[in-house]
Amino acid sequence: MDPIEVTICAGTACVVMDGSQLALLEEHLPPRLRGRVKLRGANCLELCHGHGAALAPHVLVEGQPLERATMARLVARIESLLPAGH
Amino acid sequence: MAHEAEGEADGERFIEVDHFQLPCGGEHLAGDLFHSRSLEGGQRVVSVLADGLSSGVEAAVLASVTASMALEYVEWNIDTGKAARILMDSLPMDPERHISYSTFTIVDARRDGRTRIFEHGNPPFMLIRDGALVPQATLSPTVHTHARWGNRRLRVCEFQSRMGDRIVLCSDGVTQSGMGSVAYPLGWGEPAAISFVLARLARTPELSCRRLSELLVDRALGNDGETPGDDITCGIIHLRRPRCLYILTGPPFDPARDRAFAALADTPGVRKVICGGTTSNIFARELNREVDMDLSLHDRNVPAPSTMAGVEMVTEGCLTLAKVAEYLEGGPTPLRNAATRLVELLLESDIIHFQVGTAVNVAHQDPALPVELDIRRNVIRRIATLLEQKHLKQTLTSYY
Repeated sequence: MDPIEVTICAGTACVVMDGSQLALLEEHLPPRLRGRVKLRGANCLELCHGHGAALAPHVLVEGQPLERATMARLVARIESLLPAGH
Repeated sequence: MAHEAEGEADGERFIEVDHFQLPCGGEHLAGDLFHSRSLEGGQRVVSVLADGLSSGVEAAVLASVTASMALEYVEWNIDTGKAARILMDSLPMDPERHISYSTFTIVDARRDGRTRIFEHGNPPFMLIRDGALVPQATLSPTVHTHARWGNRRLRVCEFQSRMGDRIVLCSDGVTQSGMGSVAYPLGWGEPAAISFVLARLARTPELSCRRLSELLVDRALGNDGETPGDDITCGIIHLRRPRCLYILTGPPFDPARDRAFAALADTPGVRKVICGGTTSNIFARELNREVDMDLSLHDRNVPAPSTMAGVEMVTEGCLTLAKVAEYLEGGPTPLRNAATRLVELLLESDIIHFQVGTAVNVAHQDPALPVELDIRRNVIRRIATLLEQKHLKQTLTSYY
């Protein structure tokens, strides 16, 4: 199975809204998810444009946006993409 | 004289000055002082290295008074030679050791090459030209004495600097480092310090004044067993072609100018840094280039830097620039992040051209965001002022 692609927004609004901690995702993954996530950063995903910072921080998981991302919500989203039993 | 025959115009010459210093072990204040002042619109730079007797607060005050007097006299258009003689007249002498309460070296350098150096008590300056030391004897130094000065002397050198010349000043904390150790019972010595500088320049001829002074001080620190036995200071003046850096930050007010703005990334002979997420997206789109973030340089306060072909680096905008201003105000920081790297690039450059897009980022106006998120133009103004006043850089700002 291909790794799950996660792109973290490192734009100003996302970082200020506590998004910088998301770069440490790999340290917070449960054992069964380790090595199955491909993490990258983007200077700005431009997902806050038109919404202010209210929905920040933003992350893309397999190309799908995750708003108000926290470490727990991000891990849960990744887990939801894994087929049962994996 | 081949260099002079090239006849570079003043606009093609720049006097780079920087220094590095460590206070004597256990002291919070250095008793050496290296200060510079840019005069006549940058055509002339006067630098003073003063070394106060002993170390700590008392030495710091003595050095500070000496350096301040010299620079104030020069600012008042008093001839530098006269300023040096006034200092010699007024410096009190230690009654037991019969030495001045502060030694000093004054370098008065002009972009057209005219250079005068006044020395009292510090290790002799090094003039490095074409990768070699210019022997002092060939500079025809004159030694001045006066009944009022006792056995103290003022040594004066006047010469024509050439493009590429470096003048290296150091306090005795460099030349006497390691004194009493097995390796250097009498101290490291001037010849060893000269050899070190020449070897470093042979390896990296374009070393910045800041980096070279840091390397020399670090070597002296090593000689002292990692605890400075005295204040250790090195200041360097380098006459050369200016190194220009573009800081490209902020989306242009009119999106129709995006392409022209992005084309600045391909300006030849200039180093470029892109600051800003939306800004970097514009450059990536217009130039069809990949932006690749290095998450290994993660920092809680400063987003990681990225790479893009043709530019030195790409950073986030407002937070990183605010940290740059903070680091420039507060001196060196042990952290390694995008902002410290940008500070290094700024200090390695002579002319910094801020190319600032003025479109307002609506997301940043959200009241949920901290008020410290200053508008870009204010942060840039703060950085430019610090670079000009504290680091004698030339700055330009253009708005898009």
